Amino acid sequence: MSIRRLYESTYIVNAVLEDAEIDSIVDRLVEFIGEHGAQILEMNKWGRRRLAYPIKKKYNGYYVYLVFEAPAEAIPQLERFYDLDENIMRHLTVQLDPKLREFRKVRAEAQAARAAQMAEAAKGEQFDVAS
Amino acid sequence: MRDGMRDRDSSLNNPNTINSPFRQKRNQPRKRTNPLKQSRLIDYLDPKFLGRFTNDQGKILPRRITGVTALQQRRLTRAIKYARHLALLPFVAQDTR
Repeated sequence: MSIRRLYESTYIVNAVLEDAEIDSIVDRLVEFIGEHGAQILEMNKWGRRRLAYPIKKKYNGYYVYLVFEAPAEAIPQLERFYDLDENIMRHLTVQLDPKLREFRKVRAEAQAARAAQMAEAAKGEQFDVAS
Repeated sequence: MRDGMRDRDSSLNNPNTINSPFRQKRNQPRKRTNPLKQSRLIDYLDPKFLGRFTNDQGKILPRRITGVTALQQRRLTRAIKYARHLALLPFVAQDTR
């Protein structure tokens, strides 16, 4: 039996495409890694973002991030899939350190809490102005 | 020849050279505080955080300026390179040139 490991993968889809086309690419990829014995634990579409530098003369990209557990043999096949799809401009797959995952979770919660606090404060101010 | 000798002598008398207390003070290493706590993990998907360790051209700052430990610097460097690959950080800032 092969070794299963925790991986994370981020890729950039050409943002010029329609939303439906992007979704179909994402779905195809999910299906593909499912077929190779991967189990997706987390998937997050960051959506369209401005690139820090143009790639193939495009300034925007559609980012998708996913966390999954897969046998080690699936990774080269996944990389090949990425390379073959012309609409995927960049991709990066690395082993995910559980500590980093935990750290991101904690940070995201802290950020959400801060945002909530800010919203609360803004509400309070509005009240003050009104009275 | 003589003039050269005299020049060297005068440079020895200069308060800003070797034996002056002022000079010594200047040579003492500045105390740095480590900007990263020991347990702080380095996330390559956080461009805002990584951006603090690059200059305005987008170059990675050396350790003598960032003041982080050697291990942290290696991790930072790797993280910045990953982030550049994903176009989260620039290789070269566009405005300079």
